[in-house]
Amino acid sequence: MRRRITSVILVLALIGVGAWGAYQYQMKNDYKTALNNAYQRLFHDTKAHVSNVQVAISKALLSGTKEQNVLLLSQIMQQATLAQDKLAQLPVSQSDISKTNKYLTQVADYSYALIQDHLDGKDMDSKQREAMSKLQDYSKYLTKELSDLQDKIMTGQMTLDSIASKQRKGLRETNEDMLATSLTKFEETLTEYPELIYDGPFSDQVMNMKPKGLGSKKVDADEARKIAEDFIGKKLNGKLILLEEGEHLEDTATIPSHTFSLSTENNRNTTGLYISVSKQGGHVVWMANPRGVSGVSLSMKQAQERAQKFLEEKGYKNMEPNYSLRNDGTILFNFAYTENEVTIYPDLIKVRVALDNGEIVGFDAATYLHAHHNRDIPEPNLTQEEARGKVRLDFNIDSVRLAIIPKGTKEVLCYEFKGKYKENDYIVYINALNGKEEQILQIIKDENGTLTF
Amino acid sequence: MNESIESMMAEESSVLQTRVLYWGSQGEDVKKVQSRLAQWGYLVGEVDGIYGPATYRAVRRFQRANGLVEDGVVGPATAKAIGISLSSNQTSQASSSGLSREGDVYLLAKAIHGEARGEPYIGKVAVGAVILNRVKHPSFPNTIAGVIYQPLAFTAVADGQINLEPDKDSIKAARDAINGWDPTYGCRYYWNPATATSKWIWSRKVVVKIGKHWFGN
Repeated sequence: MRRRITSVILVLALIGVGAWGAYQYQMKNDYKTALNNAYQRLFHDTKAHVSNVQVAISKALLSGTKEQNVLLLSQIMQQATLAQDKLAQLPVSQSDISKTNKYLTQVADYSYALIQDHLDGKDMDSKQREAMSKLQDYSKYLTKELSDLQDKIMTGQMTLDSIASKQRKGLRETNEDMLATSLTKFEETLTEYPELIYDGPFSDQVMNMKPKGLGSKKVDADEARKIAEDFIGKKLNGKLILLEEGEHLEDTATIPSHTFSLSTENNRNTTGLYISVSKQGGHVVWMANPRGVSGVSLSMKQAQERAQKFLEEKGYKNMEPNYSLRNDGTILFNFAYTENEVTIYPDLIKVRVALDNGEIVGFDAATYLHAHHNRDIPEPNLTQEEARGKVRLDFNIDSVRLAIIPKGTKEVLCYEFKGKYKENDYIVYINALNGKEEQILQIIKDENGTLTF
Repeated sequence: MNESIESMMAEESSVLQTRVLYWGSQGEDVKKVQSRLAQWGYLVGEVDGIYGPATYRAVRRFQRANGLVEDGVVGPATAKAIGISLSSNQTSQASSSGLSREGDVYLLAKAIHGEARGEPYIGKVAVGAVILNRVKHPSFPNTIAGVIYQPLAFTAVADGQINLEPDKDSIKAARDAINGWDPTYGCRYYWNPATATSKWIWSRKVVVKIGKHWFGN
């Protein structure tokens, strides 16, 4: 009797496990199919977008009018952006597509720069045409590689679900190889891809901009330690430990620096204090003391005065507070350099003040050190009234002043109009030399501070 | 200029950050603290959601009795001892236009938490900075989500650790990274020499070592 009950239970259990297993198997297949479908779509889309880029570039090279070209260039920009976005979602490792990604991003970015030229009334010059036809050559190669892959997928020689089960590891490897090999083949052709000369956020010139505000003096680790200690000021409760640096710090870091962390004997778990001193010029690039802050005893105004005084003590004169953000019991102020009553936004320093005791818990001059140099600020060609004429009449202006804003590798002198349009806050920048509307920023104020979009 | 900055700053509020309660604070959180303290006999007075002198004295008594710093302020440690959480994960009130950066901060914080939980604070900021440096670089996707969810890019994304709730430090680190602090000086890669399996990663140009990670390009 007992035996029978046991066997009945076992049989029931077996059926249960079997049903559960079948269900799991079904589920797994469903997920796999869904994933595979998503990858298929991404792949076919990528291919279509790349073909569209190729066609649009060839049309842009033929087109004789700027109007038509602006339309074609915006098509190139859109299709290249979509291709890049979708390619990056395919299950291929970054090392196999990094150049392809860069190529597609820069095609879009370059087209945008050319659109701006056209809108300024400039035609494509011979160098730009040459660059465009180079870019078209590459789009041809890429289209071809992707077409070959597409054939393989169509004929079932390859699937895209890289998350295949372990038994199918062999198949998976050949699969991955196929996709990766084709893409790497294209990557290799891209080694001679020319450096595009233009001003856009993803151009090589902007990526490789060297800091202008460092000076020339070389500073070794010991001198840097001294500079760091002086900067922190108070008696250090511990020792500044130099972080280990790699052999390529000097040639690839944006600002090669000696970086220290403060280690205290008795409390290794505290968040610590960090400070960085540039090797060239010996400037403190940033300092951070991310300690917890409980309680608030300073007003906003007191905190701002502390920050301003601190900058003056450190030798940063003529710094004007602009925006602020309040988080975790601290306020972060953005200070911009001013010269002859012109606000110079590229020369930006951030200072964070703890609201419990007014201590400076953060300092970041990286942007300032990158941009600061002796400028010859030109006289505006437009009067303030003339510039006002370029802004929409129903833009309700609160304040106007002159400011220098960054534009790619360059800087432009603008009239800055702050005001309201349909209940929202904006800043409109009108070029003070030629009257061009350079930029519009939307300002979002919330309880913690101000953000620009 | 000065007034306009001041007008930007409204009263204390919380956006993905632990709120601190002190004399003058009001609201649900204060009520929670008061009702606990009243329950345990520290508070003699009304549970009215207003942090007044009675609440202040009660908090000090509670802190003294529990070996906490006696400052009359309910910060993270005191809140923990009382057994409440102070609106720490309240999502921000989106502005009328719906524009806000908190979504980015939170996503970045999740990635930092998944990838660099055991790292010193600067190591967490550094991981956030690498993600942001990728966003700005032409060879990578151009959005924060695009970079984080790029297939095969981050192990914490592949194994689901990214879905853990980020702790306070990770959120703070994400915010520091978004505000521009870059301890890596522009690096786009990092790896742990003890666990890195990819041979390719060793061909990167090393820049600086922070915590257990090497950062490079």
